[in-house]
Amino acid sequence: MSAHDTTATDIAVIGWAHTPMVRHTDKSETQLLMEAITDAITPLGLTRADIDFTCLGSCDYITGQAFSFVSNLDAIGAWPPKRDSHVEMDGAWALYEAWLRLQEGDIEIAVVTGSGRSSTGDPALIYPMEMDPYFLAPLGADPLTFAALQARAVIASGLADERSMAEVAVRSRGKGDVDTLLAEEFVRQPLRRHDVPPITDGAAAMVLATGDRARQLVERPAYITGFDHRTECHNPSFRALDDSPSTRIAAAAAGLGDSPVEVAELQAAFTHEELLLRSVLGLGEDVAVNPSGGALRANPIMATGLCRVGFAADHIFGGGNRALAHSTSGPCLQQNLICILEGRS
Amino acid sequence: MTRFVESTITFPYKRSLGPVVGAFMTALTEKRILGIRSGDSVLVPPMEWDPATGAELAHEFVEVGPAGTVESWTWVPSPSEQHPLDHPFAFALIRLDGATTPLLHAVDAGAPGSVAEGMRVAPRWRGAREGRIDDIICFVPGEAPETEGEDTGGAAEPVTRMDYLASITYRNPVPDAADRATEASKDHRLLGLRCPVCARVYAGGRGYCPIDAIELGPDCEEDLPHTGTITNFAIVTPVQYPGQTETEPFVRAFILLDGTDVIIPYSPVIELPADQVRVGQRVDAVWASPAEETDEAGGMGGNFGSLLGWIPNGEPDHDDPDLVNRIF
Repeated sequence: MSAHDTTATDIAVIGWAHTPMVRHTDKSETQLLMEAITDAITPLGLTRADIDFTCLGSCDYITGQAFSFVSNLDAIGAWPPKRDSHVEMDGAWALYEAWLRLQEGDIEIAVVTGSGRSSTGDPALIYPMEMDPYFLAPLGADPLTFAALQARAVIASGLADERSMAEVAVRSRGKGDVDTLLAEEFVRQPLRRHDVPPITDGAAAMVLATGDRARQLVERPAYITGFDHRTECHNPSFRALDDSPSTRIAAAAAGLGDSPVEVAELQAAFTHEELLLRSVLGLGEDVAVNPSGGALRANPIMATGLCRVGFAADHIFGGGNRALAHSTSGPCLQQNLICILEGRS
Repeated sequence: MTRFVESTITFPYKRSLGPVVGAFMTALTEKRILGIRSGDSVLVPPMEWDPATGAELAHEFVEVGPAGTVESWTWVPSPSEQHPLDHPFAFALIRLDGATTPLLHAVDAGAPGSVAEGMRVAPRWRGAREGRIDDIICFVPGEAPETEGEDTGGAAEPVTRMDYLASITYRNPVPDAADRATEASKDHRLLGLRCPVCARVYAGGRGYCPIDAIELGPDCEEDLPHTGTITNFAIVTPVQYPGQTETEPFVRAFILLDGTDVIIPYSPVIELPADQVRVGQRVDAVWASPAEETDEAGGMGGNFGSLLGWIPNGEPDHDDPDLVNRIF
């Protein structure tokens, strides 16, 4: 479908909200979600009774509780019984499922969430257990190590150097000085502390609506005009780490090439990932990348990707025409999702 | 001030290896490293399927290494408890001689200045090998493999399974409502929370109304009765998984509290043999005596605190065929 068709299956982001993004919260995941959902729907004049479908993205491994998403349902008011689903993935993939579900045309409003309390455990010890169980997990192969190996590959390909990576950090966090940062020790050569994301607790909730309902509820819906996600082999041994073919394919399928985007919100938790993704997506200097500060400023695991879509939608709500949001999962950008949002005059 | 509770969860996995990974692990016990042929390539570690196409690969194994070349590396200045070495080391992508793809492993190189792309490394084998990737303790600079400790030789039988113990420590906030319910249980009170919107009552320190999605504070608290009726039950025959302390079949019953709509789920029964439990049976709450109090919980565990379970109170059964439907 071309970018400006208006069809019965128009689906748009009409609002979203996120909790404060903090290193450590005293609130449970359910409490975080209760707050985020209320803050997302209330300004739209909606109540929980208006929601036809929910899809929640969260991770039991991070929460430390089997079926933790069941208690998270307390936040959505699931009575009378609602159509509900869950993905053990970032909320950006929950958004993908809701987008598919709304295309059936029988319902009008969906709410998706992403939530995670990274401070519950030690991410450096939890993530290695999610790796390949035969060859990687027994070695404690951790996310910093994989990121460092990818950074080295990206630097070797000429797409980044330590200085340009530090520049990404300074721009994203809106603070610091490149020369000062480059004088710091390596945490995993070639990565320094500024190249690495913070550990963040937080949740986000987003409201989707179809066609006319979206236009009734808000002046300028952020229409989803392209949406795709692709994955690569789980073991980075078998991938070219200076490339991201899954991102490239997803972007082409989502129609990135149809017309320029003004803003790109990329889930680049490490500085070199932004430089690699910019290159793979062909984003020029005229594209504002991560005006929100991106994952380097706040990295609420399981909500980081959904927040990218939210900030891209903010650009449309504010009068922008076209924005890209990216989310990723797995070591070294294993799986990548691209969502294109557009406004209409 | 919110209270946090720390808990450690361990998952003792026993993983089947299958024909390809199993062959690789078996060879490791013999201090040999196997790749698998995929077209013109030799994949190490071996995969059952071509990572590019998903096509199943013939089981054509190729011995590689044992020495290889560092293609990329990073330095680990502060190893974690999960890492192969307890002192600073390099994680490296090592292309073993004869392989097309690199294997991730540790290199014991002393200092970051001693590691470089193109560096030659060889395995340091564990003396007693089980058929795991960490039978190779790490790689060391040079061409010559080493063995640490007494060499106990290869496996007598093909290796088909691998143990992996995942252990994670979590620190979770305890909702205030849960703490208040546990505290009240020490005074042998069964605390409920009534939703101000829908008037439903919840037990067990559940701090929300899931219907109206609002938090329920201390102003919503009320005492619940200590008598009820068994609506349904299951007899659990314990399987001796790690952590299971029960050895004989035991009952978990669902109790509908008198004059309320509240179900206390998964409750133990006291002085009531499993084969005598009935739907409709009348029961009373049994509370822990001070001597039985533990820091953690009574028999119900969690937020029911000192509530040990339920005992028949001798009243005639409640005869209602719909009772059995009430488990929530």
